[in-house]
Amino acid sequence: MTRIMLERVREAIEQGLIGSRLWFYANYHCNLACAYCLTESAPDVAQRALEPDLMVELAEEGRAIGFTSIGVTGGEPFLVPQMPELLLRLSSVLPVVVLSNGTLFTGKRLERMRPLGERDVRVQISLDRSEAVANDEMRGPENFRKVLEAIPKLVALGIGVRIASTLVWVDEDDMAKLCGLHRSLGVPDEEHVVRGVVRRGRALTEGLGEPAGIAELGPELTISADGAFWSPFGPTVVGGLVDTDLLVTRAISPLSMPAETLAGLVTGSGYSGPIDDRFT
Amino acid sequence: MTSDTFAPRVGLITADRAPLTAARHWREGIDPGPIVAALAHVPELLDAALPFIGQALRGSIADPRTAELVIVRASALLGCSYCTLTHGAIALDADVTPDELRALCARGAVAGGGSHDEREVALLAWVDEVAAGHGDVPDGVARDLAAHVDDALLVELTAMVGCTIFLNRFCTTLRLPASETTLARLAASGIQPEELAA
Repeated sequence: MTRIMLERVREAIEQGLIGSRLWFYANYHCNLACAYCLTESAPDVAQRALEPDLMVELAEEGRAIGFTSIGVTGGEPFLVPQMPELLLRLSSVLPVVVLSNGTLFTGKRLERMRPLGERDVRVQISLDRSEAVANDEMRGPENFRKVLEAIPKLVALGIGVRIASTLVWVDEDDMAKLCGLHRSLGVPDEEHVVRGVVRRGRALTEGLGEPAGIAELGPELTISADGAFWSPFGPTVVGGLVDTDLLVTRAISPLSMPAETLAGLVTGSGYSGPIDDRFT
Repeated sequence: MTSDTFAPRVGLITADRAPLTAARHWREGIDPGPIVAALAHVPELLDAALPFIGQALRGSIADPRTAELVIVRASALLGCSYCTLTHGAIALDADVTPDELRALCARGAVAGGGSHDEREVALLAWVDEVAAGHGDVPDGVARDLAAHVDDALLVELTAMVGCTIFLNRFCTTLRLPASETTLARLAASGIQPEELAA
């Protein structure tokens, strides 16, 4: 990879043509099986986990290229046994946001999260509705209760918490209640993310959400065990098969290879940025 | 991956699943064929391989008939049904006759004295050694061809055989199917697939 090519990546990030966050799919398995899940994640699917050492190595390369933060998603990342320690290592490279269903922050795992309170790590927890029945209908039994128990514990450790609400449609009354709820849990409005359902993965099978391809999704380099993708909404799974329509390269290391290919797609294909911010 | 006896051993990428850098091969409803559809699973491999394959098989110096003699003969020796049939059809459009095609695909050396001149006989004997021989090409075989080709053409022909062998093993191992268009072109010249490929 030449210096000129890497400069093209850096410039694309600085100009906002490529998202400045580098995403990792830590794994694909999950203790839940949400109706709109992009990756058909569930307890019994193959883990397809990225090696923690590789993630740290790629994060360091990402920082050198020009990325300014790390995103970790899955599956449920906290099913990866060493996730709290991995987040500590990643946060020594760049600020980190990790997406979680919020159901696993108990006992020893919660205690191992304590050092993250002193780092630039935010945990983004999914909470879709203000009431247990409606929330758990999409996300599984006891999800609401576990999330409401977990958030104050994380806040008490000094860990930044964001709440992400994925909505099939917006119910204004429920949204007001949901905002009241997250405020009561210690999560301010600016840390509440509301997004639509992307019609990929299990949502496609269920006929939920809005179609999303290259025109709708902003380019954010996303690394998974299956390759490098255009967006964190790229490595979706339908019928057990990984979608390849947003695949950039199978190669993920060195990071410069998919990064340069993504920059080439963005700067050489007439692509002029996302035209729809519903999914960003 | 499938295990059916005659089905491809990998799923063939379709237009709606084409990776970003590969999608151009499906533009305007074009069917890029099973080699592209298989290689597209690894888009960076497709991007690297396709220009090489195109140049190596097309050649810059070799005339179309010479190129197709080389490719069909090597493919037949390697037992590649896909390449033998596909390039058999292309060969017909490069002035290779149906009888020449059948002879290229038959077991045993291609005899001289027929439609092939001295140069083509030397060429086909050389292809047999490069594609199916073991170790170095015998000096006599190399010398006979060198009497008819210069260094540049020799390099081009050697790359042509090498690239053909790569495709032969790729297409055979993954059980890639010849297209209906190919079979129709062969049938139009009175050739049944089993005459060329086992």
